[in-house]
Amino acid sequence: MPEDKTPCLVFSAGTCGQASGANDIIRLAKRYILEKKLHDQIHLRITGCLGFCEIEPLILIEPDNYIYPGINAGDVADIIDATIKGEVIEELFYREDGSNMKYPTAKDIPFIRNQTQLLLENNQKLDPIRIFNYISTGGYAGFEKVISNPDPDGIINEIKEAELRGRGGAGFPTGLKWEIAKKAGGNSLQKYLVCNADEGDPGAYMDRNLLEGNPHSIIEGMIIAGIAIGADKGFIYVRAEYPLAIKHASIARRQAYDLGILGKNILESQIDFDLEIIRGAGAFVCGEETALIKSIEGEMAHPKQRPPYPVNQGIWGYPTCINNVETLANVPVIIGKGAREYKKVGIPGSRGTKIFSLVGKIKNTGLVEVPFGTTLREIVYKIGGGPQGDARLKAIQTGGPSGGCIPEKMFDLPIDYDSLNKAGSIMGSGGMIVMDEHTCMVDIARYFTKFLQEESCGKCSTCREGTQRITDIVTNITQGRGKSEDLKLLEELGQVMKDASMCGLGQTAANPLLATLKYFKEEYIEHIEKKTCRAVVCKEIISSPCQFSCPIDTEVSVYVALIAHKRYEEALEIIKKENPFASVLARVCHHPCESWCKAGEGGDPIAIRDLKRFVTDYGIKHKLCQTTEPVKKTNGIKIAIVGSGPSGLTCGFYLAKKGYEVTVFEKEKVIGGMLAMGIPEYRLPREILEYDLNYIRSAGIEIKTNTALGKDFTIDSLFEQGYKALFLATGSHKSLNLGIKDEHVEGVLPGMKALASLNLGEKIDLGKRVGIIGGGNTAVDAARRILRAEASESVAMVDAARRVLRTTTPESVTIFYRRTIDEIPAYEEEVEGAQEEGITIEFLTAPKRIIAENGKLKACEFLRMKLGEVDESGRRRPIPIRGSEFIVELDTLIVSISESPDISFLQDTGLEFSKWGTVVIDPGTCLTKREGVFAGGDLVTGPNTVVNAVASGKIAAESIEQYVSGKEIKREYKITRPSRYIEPVEFSEDQMAELLTAGRSRMPTLSPEKRKYNLIEVCQGLPEELATQEAKRCLRCELETEEGKLFLDKLQENKPLTEVQK
Amino acid sequence: MYLSKGQIEHESYDSIVDECIEKHGEFLIAILQDIQKRYNYIPEDAMRKLAKKLGITLRDVYGVASFYKAFSFTPKGKHVVTTCTGTACHVRGSSKIVDAFSNELGIKPGETTKDLMFTHETAACLGCCAIGPVVVVDGDYLPKVKTTAIRKIIDGTKRGAAILEEEDQRIFPIQVVCPQCNHSLMKPEHLVDNYPCIHVTISFKRKHGWLRLSSLYGSFNIESEHDIPVDTEVNFFCPHCHAELVGSSTCPECSAPMILMLVTNGGNIQICSRRGCKGHILDI
Repeated sequence: MPEDKTPCLVFSAGTCGQASGANDIIRLAKRYILEKKLHDQIHLRITGCLGFCEIEPLILIEPDNYIYPGINAGDVADIIDATIKGEVIEELFYREDGSNMKYPTAKDIPFIRNQTQLLLENNQKLDPIRIFNYISTGGYAGFEKVISNPDPDGIINEIKEAELRGRGGAGFPTGLKWEIAKKAGGNSLQKYLVCNADEGDPGAYMDRNLLEGNPHSIIEGMIIAGIAIGADKGFIYVRAEYPLAIKHASIARRQAYDLGILGKNILESQIDFDLEIIRGAGAFVCGEETALIKSIEGEMAHPKQRPPYPVNQGIWGYPTCINNVETLANVPVIIGKGAREYKKVGIPGSRGTKIFSLVGKIKNTGLVEVPFGTTLREIVYKIGGGPQGDARLKAIQTGGPSGGCIPEKMFDLPIDYDSLNKAGSIMGSGGMIVMDEHTCMVDIARYFTKFLQEESCGKCSTCREGTQRITDIVTNITQGRGKSEDLKLLEELGQVMKDASMCGLGQTAANPLLATLKYFKEEYIEHIEKKTCRAVVCKEIISSPCQFSCPIDTEVSVYVALIAHKRYEEALEIIKKENPFASVLARVCHHPCESWCKAGEGGDPIAIRDLKRFVTDYGIKHKLCQTTEPVKKTNGIKIAIVGSGPSGLTCGFYLAKKGYEVTVFEKEKVIGGMLAMGIPEYRLPREILEYDLNYIRSAGIEIKTNTALGKDFTIDSLFEQGYKALFLATGSHKSLNLGIKDEHVEGVLPGMKALASLNLGEKIDLGKRVGIIGGGNTAVDAARRILRAEASESVAMVDAARRVLRTTTPESVTIFYRRTIDEIPAYEEEVEGAQEEGITIEFLTAPKRIIAENGKLKACEFLRMKLGEVDESGRRRPIPIRGSEFIVELDTLIVSISESPDISFLQDTGLEFSKWGTVVIDPGTCLTKREGVFAGGDLVTGPNTVVNAVASGKIAAESIEQYVSGKEIKREYKITRPSRYIEPVEFSEDQMAELLTAGRSRMPTLSPEKRKYNLIEVCQGLPEELATQEAKRCLRCELETEEGKLFLDKLQENKPLTEVQK
Repeated sequence: MYLSKGQIEHESYDSIVDECIEKHGEFLIAILQDIQKRYNYIPEDAMRKLAKKLGITLRDVYGVASFYKAFSFTPKGKHVVTTCTGTACHVRGSSKIVDAFSNELGIKPGETTKDLMFTHETAACLGCCAIGPVVVVDGDYLPKVKTTAIRKIIDGTKRGAAILEEEDQRIFPIQVVCPQCNHSLMKPEHLVDNYPCIHVTISFKRKHGWLRLSSLYGSFNIESEHDIPVDTEVNFFCPHCHAELVGSSTCPECSAPMILMLVTNGGNIQICSRRGCKGHILDI
């Protein structure tokens, strides 16, 4: 055939392509071509799905196979014009998320390049509703070969030699099945061939793709199979959920009849083969072969005992050979190419390729065809492009409801039938559902057992009752009502179902449960014992994700609802109930609540921290909740707290509120720990800090400053003085070294020390050029604080004498960070703020050598880095680029890569330390290895957030109370619930529509010019109107629990009738 | 087309049940599928008739009809919204989509609103796993659906998203000629959809007359001398040379013969000859 040079636009228009808008794109293309009379210059081809469903709608342009992914209506004309001119539109080429690298053609795109497509590649060449298209690309060649010289044994031998195994899941050798079918019942008997396209496994859709995109290859495979086994009648059993597949298969069938490829006496060969297409009626069990036969016979799809196997006794009692769609699609390939050639792909025991549907929480989703023996890791990372966003991958579910899951640590497993079985899963029909840390494995088990409970045909009791019981138990666990003995019971039930059920559905029904129990038992235990769902999925446990994810259990949804009602004082009370550092955290919290906010899934998360700030500022302005009521009379029990940071003071606050006599010892001259020394004033004004400190003091605690552990007192001396318990919260203030030579010369400063000096108003000599190494908050805070070195509003600087010695602001401040802006751990708004203020951040840069002269810093030599593979932390590892060294002259180098606790004064005190130099505690109770001594905050975690420090203070207060009152020290875990429910704000239709499109309210901030050299707070707080508007955007997740729904129902009942009717 | 319960009771199921049996022989499931398509549910009387005619018990028919999820014993709504709850859609949050539909429509999955406007369903897997969560509204697949879009989807469906909009770029006029005599089939003096219509002569069931088709690609509006009952196959002729406008292929939707006309700027268009079928192919 002479090569046609006319370019051809190929439209991927399977069900998913059409869902993504392919039909509109096709129409627009046709319209443009007709209007501009371009039909001589360009061809069109509408094909089935090309597999890369994520980037649809797409246009592929032959002969060069350029791909334009995710196109809009407006792009169509441009693409056609450019193509006719022989040009390309580079801006429309495929790009990976966050990268500027363009991939022009199909074979450049990693998702396609790393596949081996024996079956899927044909889809691009075929318009599935045109038989001549199939024939002209070599289709029906295998059929021709076979029909001109029918040799059933020859065919069976060829399939046997190719070692083809059933692609439906069980992997039975196809050649062997055909041989048995051929022998079954002698030659005179009626025999049937069935193509099983009842692809019921949720998450798998390769059969749909093949039937939609290349239906003639299935028909060809069926005729060849029919000839091999001596069947003159075939059925394609398709599930009703696949309308396009049914349509294409029906058209193909009709066309094949018209050409005499199907029917009586095919092409004068004396061979008959008739084909029927049967539409399923929605029953998962029909994928089981004996049930499928019942369904074809028009009965309820109850499976039957095997043997006799269908291959001996099937439809209406006649021998019936059942093959999967993908198996049959392989047949023409084997007959066409020959078994020897076919066998070159794959591994012994599992030859050829397998199509997987790679879906779920992965960047590139779609159909993936790879040789057997490919590892899961290759599929997930090389083809799938790894996780979506920052979330870490957890597991892959394979084999649908009969399968199991493979945890991330086993991703190096090569995929074949046997290896997956050994790992506790199965190949199944090829669904691969990727799960990340936002997927709860207990919920997944519940999902599958519930699915199977509904799909169990009910014939045998182990399956019918078993699926019901395990669903009940697992559902209880996901709702926070699990008991510790449940896990053993589940394992037992699973085993019984496996042993005693009749058909495959029942025997494998417990697999998803058993596999998750095997690999993710700790998640079950967390649900049962700690009432925690780490993926923040199980609704009855978490109530609202904001409250659940708050380390100090703030009832976020409640106070947000109160703000929406303008009931600010109540909102403030709700906040202060759980949080003595309300005003501080309203400014510096890392707000996990916002990261988990459900509004953030389809748009912007609610600005929760800014709302809290609005309420706390309102409280300050109106003098609300300024102090707390101290107890009338203390109980006389003395508790010592070492360290006056957020953790220590919180613990002291709650103990004092309970009547204990609390003394806080602070080494420094100021109280507040990191809040005073680490966080600069432009983020946390000192009067705000003072405000919260006053509130805490009002509970009645004694604070001794300038009193250090190890110098002024010891743990033993405190006990001797009659303190009944101790809480250590001395923080993590020691900056880590780089570990390179000359690190201690003059001019090199540890980050924490520099920041503390500046914040406390001490003079440091910075010189003109300052470099900062690191990318954490300390590094960025230090950089921005240095810009403001001359500012003097600090309350710690009231000492007039020091003002004279004021530090001078340097000319340049540069941060050197070894990864990119995507990995930087400092808060996004801080990094942006720093850049706006003129601080340079050199990304992908790491220090190599300090250049000193006469014991004084002169310069630093840096290396450029590039990002490599993903490391333990889930981020891509920086790798030095050889020969990229460069020297930067510096007067001051601040090393701020991380901090660790100073534990020098805790040696030989009976405490245990981790390899990171932190104090080892029981995280549930804060108890150390020494009786009566508790510890919390950064001292036990290393550098951490303020809210986590406050949380540990609260836990410690509980435990200390249990300890001193002689009770068992044990943390009570409860499911999350708000203390009260607030009625939702009523909206009109218009208001609702407005809210649906409204974005997040943003706080006004000072411009870089206005804030750069002073300590005035950068963020100015939400005005009332924006705050209430923002609060109204809340989705009120807490009302979705059973308890929440009950509240809503009651609300409805109590309303006047007219309002209900509205 | 959706009949209320009262109307149905007065209808005789005989002819329809006969028709279905004739079409599908003894394939009970296929017969039930046809009945369901016709009435939007399986009426009890139809099951009785069916059992009698097939010589099986009502229990057999009811057993099968109740076993498979596709069959419903209560009428379904005018619009059916189906949320896929397959695993891939589940891990991407489809249960929240289902909840959102329940909240907006005030009914649980599997139920139909009182006004018979909406049926709210879930499906185990629709096989569009790569673009989940997926919702199907009256056969249209919607990819990557978010909870915040549910209200919009319902409102859009109520309004009838398929209404022709002037601005719709996907709808455009074409001009056709007879493939035999190459004479234009356009009649500028008669407008359908505000565009010159395509004018042909037709015959069906011993009736002859003219037929005017909208020349908008994507519009199925016609004007005809005679009322053409739904499902009737019609023969089309060129009004100039009187040749039959018949294509070589059959309709991809219903397998009736296709009508062939040439498009003036290149290519050809084939439309289904059966009244009510929207099968068409535009080849360029």
